[in-house]
Amino acid sequence: MNDKNETPSEQGEQKIARRDLLKVGGALLGAAGLAQFFSLNSLAVRSKSDSHEAAGPKWGMLIDINKCIGCNYCTYACQAINNLADDMLYNVVTTETTQSGEEYFLSRPCMQCEEAPCVHVCPVGATYYRPDGIVAMDYTLCIGCRYCQVACPYSARVFNWRDPLGTTSKAPDFGLQEIENRPRGVVEKCHFCSHRIDYGVERGLVPGVDALATPACVVACPTGARVFGDLNDATSPISMAQVDASVTLRLREDLSTEPRVYYVSPVAESQAPFIQNVEG
Amino acid sequence: MLSNIHCPTVRIGKRSIIVFPYWISLLIIGILFGLVGAFTVLRDGLQVTGLSNAIPWGLWISIDLSAIAMGGSAFVFGVIVYILRIKRFEVIGKLAVLLGFLGYSTAGMVLLFDLGQPLRFWHPVVFWQPHSLLWEVTMCVVLYLSVLMAEVLPIVLEHPVFHMHPWLTRFSILGGLVKFVHKVSHWLHSASPILAVAGLTLSLLHQASLGATYSVLAGRGIWFNQSAPVQFVFSAMSGGIALLFLSSVFVFRVMRPGQVSDEALLDVARIAGGITLLLTYLRVWDWAVTNYYSFNRTIALQTEMLDTISPYTLTFWLGQALLPIIAGSILLAAKKVNFRLLMVVSFFPIIAAILTRWNYNFAGLIASISYDPFTPNIILNSYTPTWVEFSVATLVLSYWLLMFSLAARYLPFQSMKEHH
Repeated sequence: MNDKNETPSEQGEQKIARRDLLKVGGALLGAAGLAQFFSLNSLAVRSKSDSHEAAGPKWGMLIDINKCIGCNYCTYACQAINNLADDMLYNVVTTETTQSGEEYFLSRPCMQCEEAPCVHVCPVGATYYRPDGIVAMDYTLCIGCRYCQVACPYSARVFNWRDPLGTTSKAPDFGLQEIENRPRGVVEKCHFCSHRIDYGVERGLVPGVDALATPACVVACPTGARVFGDLNDATSPISMAQVDASVTLRLREDLSTEPRVYYVSPVAESQAPFIQNVEG
Repeated sequence: MLSNIHCPTVRIGKRSIIVFPYWISLLIIGILFGLVGAFTVLRDGLQVTGLSNAIPWGLWISIDLSAIAMGGSAFVFGVIVYILRIKRFEVIGKLAVLLGFLGYSTAGMVLLFDLGQPLRFWHPVVFWQPHSLLWEVTMCVVLYLSVLMAEVLPIVLEHPVFHMHPWLTRFSILGGLVKFVHKVSHWLHSASPILAVAGLTLSLLHQASLGATYSVLAGRGIWFNQSAPVQFVFSAMSGGIALLFLSSVFVFRVMRPGQVSDEALLDVARIAGGITLLLTYLRVWDWAVTNYYSFNRTIALQTEMLDTISPYTLTFWLGQALLPIIAGSILLAAKKVNFRLLMVVSFFPIIAAILTRWNYNFAGLIASISYDPFTPNIILNSYTPTWVEFSVATLVLSYWLLMFSLAARYLPFQSMKEHH
């Protein structure tokens, strides 16, 4: 390009070439600007759950860590009701430690977030908010892309890797199957036993009080560590338990997912924790 | 016209052998092996993969992201040729469109196997959820693939078989069909500026939202990053155009000497080099922003943990910073003297684009944060792809290479009208 012996016409061509390159450069910069604009817009627009406005009950759960003995009955009951294999648990109980090093059991159902990442990301709307706040699944819509699994900060979602089980090992000791089998290749989740809630509400039962209308894990808990009820009702078991509890916390509150599952802190912990205290 | 195409040969002793048939046979073997894996995964479901609830996105998603990046030159050259109307890139633009089509169809193919319910692949098109980035990506890929098909059709129809094959006159139905397709193709060709604008919009939108797919997930620390969308767009442009340079030197300079001027080829290299430098500049700023200006202990720990099991930081500094700077500078200053060096160097932006996407996909999944409230820590998950995953990967790669080889060998990249 820098050869000294260029003919004038070649130089002219190069000028045109340079102008072309400038054109291309300008177009690219414009394109980058557009891309930035569009992507920022898509980040800014987040779907708000309809449940904010809707009146009526909002189901929530409170788990008292001080009462949990780690017996796993909640997990087993959940497995029996939903016919889950041993490696496909909606509810898990793990052993964790407090900041002072004391061990405790952390029992984790789906958080039924008010701003659920899984609902925001689902490309087909298979995960949706019920009017009562429960984050439910439409298994006939799910395409099995697993974006919700990637998005959930609580690892609450499980993919149905295999064909459905005949019968889970936890039935009939911990209950009988109440939910029909899901097809292979969809993502599943805890639904706060919404079938029981619907059944009970239809018949005038009170979820959280009457066992028939209450999630299986709450009914199965031998120590009463799990309390269920309507967060909007001041007389519900969960609202009263929240008043009694000294400190309640929710998991990963830093992410603003607004979970509807509350925990009563271990006695040793007097204040709510923060994510800044990460230890590798 | 076709006799002007020079096929690469290998000299063994005194004989020189045309590589083409052996290469094609190899690719067909690859496809056959891949079909076994494809059949297995469709029959048995995703349990045959190494994926788990902890790492639900693996090898296939990384291939999908990379394939889309490799199609990144199509929208850039669509604009250059059809909107800015820069004549000397016209032929190269055809190759870019072809690369775009190959990239996107490969991505679509591998995604199909990655779905838990492959038969429901059409659901996003019907059941809209516009708040989901994956929905936007799917819609853009579907629409852009249609645009690319409309752009590729006229290029394929340039082949003489669609103009002068004896069957066209012997079987009138065949002749009529081809005439109809030609009419459609002519109509599509006259709509090419509109297609170029549509292609630009769609591919910019979704190249950006591919990055955003990851970066909106606040729960995964290392992914939560504002500049990811822009980086994905630029890495697709830099890697895609570097690939376009590499392949157009091969297709035009080696196989069809004289069809494209060397100066035009060098300009492609310069564009690739410029964008590579721009991308690297953004990458390094992004590093500074996450590691210095808004230092976050969780992200630092995630990176630290990743470094204990993989060369995560090394691949960034070497593969995404140092080598692209060198390669970008050489490509930007491209001169006629050494096409071989330029071809070797153009591999680096391609590798950098693939590496960016690969690292992005795996970093957040492998080092994830636990949700326990008092002593949260970083969990390292592990993932090893099974033979089925490698087999399907072979299938889609062989498909890409086979289509590219057939196009390079048989397509004239020259319209009949211009020729006569």
